[in-house]
Order: sequence, then C-alpha cells, then structure tokens
Amino acid sequence: MNSQGGISMAGRGGSSATATSSWVSPTSVSTSGKRIQREMTELNMDPPPDCSAGPKGDNLYHWISTVMGPPGTPYQGGIFFLDLTFPSDYPFKPPKVVFKTRIYHCNVDSAGNLSLDILKDSWSPALTITKVLLAIRSIFTHPDPYNPLVPGIAHMYLADRAKHDELAAEWTLRFAK
Amino acid sequence: MVSDSINASIPSVPKDFGKKKRANRSAKLKQCKLDARREQWLSQATVKNRGCKEELMGPRGSPQQIHEEGRKNPLENLQMRRQGRGVREDEDDNGSIHRDFDMDSPSNSPTGSSVLGGNDSSTNFTASSSGSSTSGSSGGCCSGSITDEDDEGGDSCLDDWEAVADALAANDYDNKQENHNDDNNPCLELQSSPEHEPVVELDCNSCNLGSNHENLTRERRIPSRVTPGNSRAWRPDDALRPQSLPNLSKQRSFPNTDRHYGRGMHAWVCASGVNVPSACPICTEDLDFTDASFLPCSCGFQVCLFCHNKMLELDGRCPNCRELYKNDSVEVEAIVPGSNLTLRLDRSCSMRS
Repeated sequence: MNSQGGISMAGRGGSSATATSSWVSPTSVSTSGKRIQREMTELNMDPPPDCSAGPKGDNLYHWISTVMGPPGTPYQGGIFFLDLTFPSDYPFKPPKVVFKTRIYHCNVDSAGNLSLDILKDSWSPALTITKVLLAIRSIFTHPDPYNPLVPGIAHMYLADRAKHDELAAEWTLRFAK
Repeated sequence: MVSDSINASIPSVPKDFGKKKRANRSAKLKQCKLDARREQWLSQATVKNRGCKEELMGPRGSPQQIHEEGRKNPLENLQMRRQGRGVREDEDDNGSIHRDFDMDSPSNSPTGSSVLGGNDSSTNFTASSSGSSTSGSSGGCCSGSITDEDDEGGDSCLDDWEAVADALAANDYDNKQENHNDDNNPCLELQSSPEHEPVVELDCNSCNLGSNHENLTRERRIPSRVTPGNSRAWRPDDALRPQSLPNLSKQRSFPNTDRHYGRGMHAWVCASGVNVPSACPICTEDLDFTDASFLPCSCGFQVCLFCHNKMLELDGRCPNCRELYKNDSVEVEAIVPGSNLTLRLDRSCSMRS
C-alpha cells in the first residue's frame, strides 16, 4: 500500500535525523512533541505521589525528575534525581531514564542505568511518564532481584535483607540528601 | 365449480381481442376488463352469503400470492397469472386463504392490496378491483362499461379504470368496507385524469420494490384523510394530488440506496456507541470520523490510523492489552472502504509534505 510506504519512509527519515544529531526532525516534533506536552500538562495537574518531573530547559525532550524515597523503605528521606530523555519517535519508543543520584539498588547500576521492563521490551505507547515514575517508585519498595542490573546487590537482597537495607539506607543518607 | 368453467374459457378470449386491437395496451386493458367482469361475477356468486370482511379479504390476499409468483418468474405472462389466480380463487372459495389473510394486521392488508393492485400487472389490478365490485353498485357499473368498450382512447374505458382504482382505494382506506364509499366513486372518476393510468401501470410493472415502498409510505398517511370522500387513487400528475405523497419515480431508486445508507449508518452508530475518545491516546491528535470508527483491537482501545500503522511497523501489538493486532482491523476498515482509503492517502500526503 502506498500510504503505508509513505508513512514508514517519513518515520525512518525522522529517526535517522535524530540519530545523527540531537536535533529532532520537524515531523517528529509535530507527533511526539504534542504528546510530550500533553504529558507535561497532565503531570502538573495530577502528579504521582512523591514524584515530580519537567523539562530540564527549553528542550521538551530532556526532562529532569525527582522521586522521593518512599516511607518504610531504606530509601526513605532521599531525593533521587533522574534524567528522562524522550526519543524522537516517542511514544512508540520508550523514554530513557537514568538515575543521576547514586542509589544502592539491585536494578540500578553505578552509571544510573535502570533495568525496568516497561522501559525496554514491555514498553507500550499507551504508557506515560506518570506511569513510568510510578513504576520507578514501586521498585524502591519492591526491588526485582531476579532481573538484576547489579547481581551483587540482588544477591545481598536475597541472602541478607537486613544488611541490604542497612547499606541502602546508608547510601541514601550519603548521596540522596 | 363456477370459477373453473369461467377460468377455462378465459384464455381464448383475450386472444380474439388481441387480434382485433392494434396496440398491445388496449389488448391488455381488455383482458383486464374481462378479468374484472369475470371476477365480479365470481365474487357475486360465491360471496353473497359471506361477511363483508371475508369478501374483502379473499381477493386481496390472493394478489399477494400472485405477486410472489410473478417475482419468482418475472417472465411469465398474463396467462400464467390468470391460471394461478384461478387456483387461488378456488382456494378462496374454500376459505383457505382467508385464514392466511386474517393474520395480516389491518394496517398491512390495505397496503398489500393497494400495492398489488397498483404495481403489479393489470391482472392483479382487476383482481383487487373485484374485491371492490363485490362491495356495491360501482362494481356493477364498472363491469357494464367495460364490456362494451374496445377503444383504447375511450374515456369511458379509462374512467372505468379509475372507478376500479377508486373503489380499490376506498376499500383500502376503509377496512370495514362501508358501502357508501361506492357512492363517492362517480364523482371521483370525474376528478381524476384518465390518461395517466397506463403510465402508472407500466411504472409499477417495471419496479415492484419502488411502488411497494411508495404504497407503504402512502399507507402511513392514510389515517390523515380517512373520510370516504377523500378516498381515491392519486395519479402522479393529478392536480389535486397532495405534495406530501411520494413520487413514484423518486421512490424507485430509493430502496437500494436506502438500504445501503442504512447499513453504513449502522456501522457508524455502532462505532460511535462505544466511548470514543476525542483524541488519539498515543499521539494526542484529534480523532477524525474515520479514526473514531476504527477499532483495531478487540479490547476497545482506539488509536488513530497513523499510530496504528506505526505500531504495526514496530511490534504490531495493541498498546493497551499488548495483544497482537489481528487482521480483523482490516475488516473494520472495509466497512467504510471508500472513505478510509481516501483518508489514508490524505495522511500519507500530509506526512510527505
């Protein structure tokens, strides 16, 4: 079908343009920018608990987000900064989330990369940043040691939960306050 | 049986007349007149002791059967119909059709008779006219003038046609068969224009559906003019014909398109009956009419066609339920093939520009 071919060509052109430079093509701006803008509005109107997010500067595709450590966890009292980067073909591709604050967590490595299924294979265009932040908040309370990014912490979490929590609280006090 | 003997003699008579007449139309008219007279005799002979309702019902119910036969075998000529009618007259004598016809609702029965009398061939017209002739004096005068008439341009002949039609209409409008309807017929004959009658007959012959439809709609309007004086068969070009009555030529093309649009509207209604989001949840663009009717997934999650295309390129899963998109969506699109295709083309064009 001609129409599908035309659309796919336009989409590939936009993604390749962003791959070479940080500037996004006008086509992608028109489609993903509107979506990101709407998400920003919704997030400001009804933010998830203990979370905040917004564009870092005047670039709509680069956000900064803060997640408060949920009470009852070793991360309690900490404020964790995250960088959110939207791809040009968002929401068809997941946003990239990086922890800027160091955290002792089996799913976050030392570079701040996050292993979260909905940010990789389980991403759905129907998901929003609000849901991503809620998912991040949920891994504070429920780490997933069976899909770890840092196996040592996951092993510690499974073997010695008390030691793990103690170390996590120490890191929180040290880096997130 | 009286009807049998008369029926046997009938087929030869029109042939004789047909040889004499120049035009086929006059021959047809003659046949119909003869049929009318014969049926009048029949009905007078057989119906005398019956109730008025039965008189009406018998001849009315029968044209429906003939009409159906005619539909099955559209190429059958009048002879076949006449034979068939002979059969059903026998049935009428036995009262078997009567039961059939009582099942019809009162509102339907006049329609059936008027439809068939009006749109089917002349045979049916006279068949229903016999029903009117049984009812009273106008039938008598009708038959009397028919027998002597052999001129195609003769006004009295066509007046008798009107008398038939008017009597038919009178019967239709008055289910209980008040005999005073027939008193109105002579004056009604004078009002109607005779020369249009053959046109009506031909039109109706060519298109049963259209005239059925017309008569249905006409029947709905009947209660507004129930008075016996108004009961008459309107000609298409009648000066006194109400504007509200549907035009036959318009109606003829209507049923098909009506059905088509009806189906289309049903599809739209079904689509809009669901909670349709105003904007695509993926790209937040407003859903246009085609997008709103586009249900790509059984979970009911609606996306615009552009995003659907995009997701088909990626993993082909519904964003909401993560189920693989099936090819059902193509069927959904096929419901409105023309508009979908054009809209898709429009979108691709806008993307390129």
